[in-house]
Amino acid sequence: MFKAGRTPWVFLLPALLGLALFRLAPIGVAAVGSFYTEGLTGEMHFTGLDNLVSVATDPDMVAALLRTLLFVAVVVPLVVGMSFALALLVQAPTRFSIACRTILVLPVTMSVALTAVLWNLLFDPILGPVNTVLSGMGFERQFFFRGADQALPTMVALATWRASGYWMIFMLAGLLAIAPDLREAARIDGATRWQSLRYITLPLMTRTFAFVAVGATAVAFLFFAPILVITSGGPEARTELLMFKAYEAGFLRLNHGRALAISLALLVLVGIFAVLELRLLRARE
Amino acid sequence: MLPGLTQGLLLVLAVLATLLPFIWMGVSSFRDPGEIFRNAMRLNWHSFVPERLSLVNWEGVMRPDFLRPLANSIFVTVATVIPGVLINSAAGFAFAVFRFPGRDMLFAAVLLSFMVPFESIVIPLFSLVRWLGWVDTYPVLIVPEIANGLVIFLFRQFFTKLGRELFEAALIDGATWGRIFWSIALPLSWPTVASAGLILFLTQWDAFFWPLVAASSPEYTLVQVAITRNLDFEQTNYGRLFSAMTAASVVAVIPFLLLQRFYIRSITTSGMK
Repeated sequence: MFKAGRTPWVFLLPALLGLALFRLAPIGVAAVGSFYTEGLTGEMHFTGLDNLVSVATDPDMVAALLRTLLFVAVVVPLVVGMSFALALLVQAPTRFSIACRTILVLPVTMSVALTAVLWNLLFDPILGPVNTVLSGMGFERQFFFRGADQALPTMVALATWRASGYWMIFMLAGLLAIAPDLREAARIDGATRWQSLRYITLPLMTRTFAFVAVGATAVAFLFFAPILVITSGGPEARTELLMFKAYEAGFLRLNHGRALAISLALLVLVGIFAVLELRLLRARE
Repeated sequence: MLPGLTQGLLLVLAVLATLLPFIWMGVSSFRDPGEIFRNAMRLNWHSFVPERLSLVNWEGVMRPDFLRPLANSIFVTVATVIPGVLINSAAGFAFAVFRFPGRDMLFAAVLLSFMVPFESIVIPLFSLVRWLGWVDTYPVLIVPEIANGLVIFLFRQFFTKLGRELFEAALIDGATWGRIFWSIALPLSWPTVASAGLILFLTQWDAFFWPLVAASSPEYTLVQVAITRNLDFEQTNYGRLFSAMTAASVVAVIPFLLLQRFYIRSITTSGMK
């Protein structure tokens, strides 16, 4: 480490300024802005807790909150489990499994909006190939995104399909960081592969699991593009998640104060869940 | 755990589940729009492979209403990646090499910033840039995505591994810190440059919510937003939709395939502390 007076700040300033302006400042804007309501002519009125109260007491918002929590509670374990399972499957340094790593990460390169368009076509009730295959095999055609009971589960599938490969890289990083002689020693001592997974691999990967869980939770709370693109919250409001409600308030109803209040709630939720997950996994370490 | 054969089968299954949607998309872009309905209703070989190859969809896509957004996306992405690599590597260098007051606290803040996904602050950021009068410009699409906590972190990890002696020798030879960074550290870090470039590229290419609200006029529309505006099967243009999506995906997949080696390696060796 070197001491170099003002030099470090020259190196740091552009990036830190960017992070401060475009990551930190908006959090402040959300906090302050949710206390204001915008008039028809664009002037701002201080309205105190009005926005937050009206959001918290709106039955549609409460339903959206509960739906979002359910969505997160299903998607996160699925993504964590799938990404870990995939990492186990591709951990061998063979040519085949290295090629598989690349393929499994591919969904990330397709932007989330295009993934939504593609899934919308794949699962179209009439023309989608998934239904063509189902009916060809003698099953009923399904409504998927167009069915009130199936829309949200299909969104869960989409979120899992898209995220598992990405988080697999981090799981793989955790797996490969475990010294091979540990597992080797366990094997010599007569541990089965399940025992070695349970008592060596998993405990050594708590940090990785915490990282992936926190990341996947934030992404799930903020799930938005597929909702807007495929269902716009329908059918029967069954896919109205919080981020969509924030968009609806801000850009369809032009109520920025309300949109900021929902954004603020989401930020707080993501923060609380991150802290909870870290606590939970730290306690196990 | 599971026997080798079962593992292999599961892996093949996962790979197929990942690849088939892409293959179907690509193949469908060469399908004559007239045949899609016929083959979707009854399962047969042609439900997946076109009866005959047709370029109709691709011809339909080669028009300004698609090419302009595609060019916008490519421009915005390149304009993010280049300054992004420079600015974030400089910050990573400072965190790795210098001792200065507040360093650990600032670094913790950087780590925190990549736990706050961009989507969570889109709406307040929109209020901010509207107040600054930046809505509907190129900078509004580019500037907010340049500074990136994950990229700073990866560069710091790399530069920490460079020995102190390297910098001491250069200092004795009279090099300035700017010169040490530019001509010694940055060139040595090329694998991290590659993966940082890819991370910034993918982040920008993935953006949807932000370009949707911050630059909505046709002039600045990005390709992802343009494609989602025209998407029902029932519409007459679904054939073109496949070509448009395929084109947009290929643009993202090529740099990914070229650089993914470094990307996966830099994440897997950074140790995710």
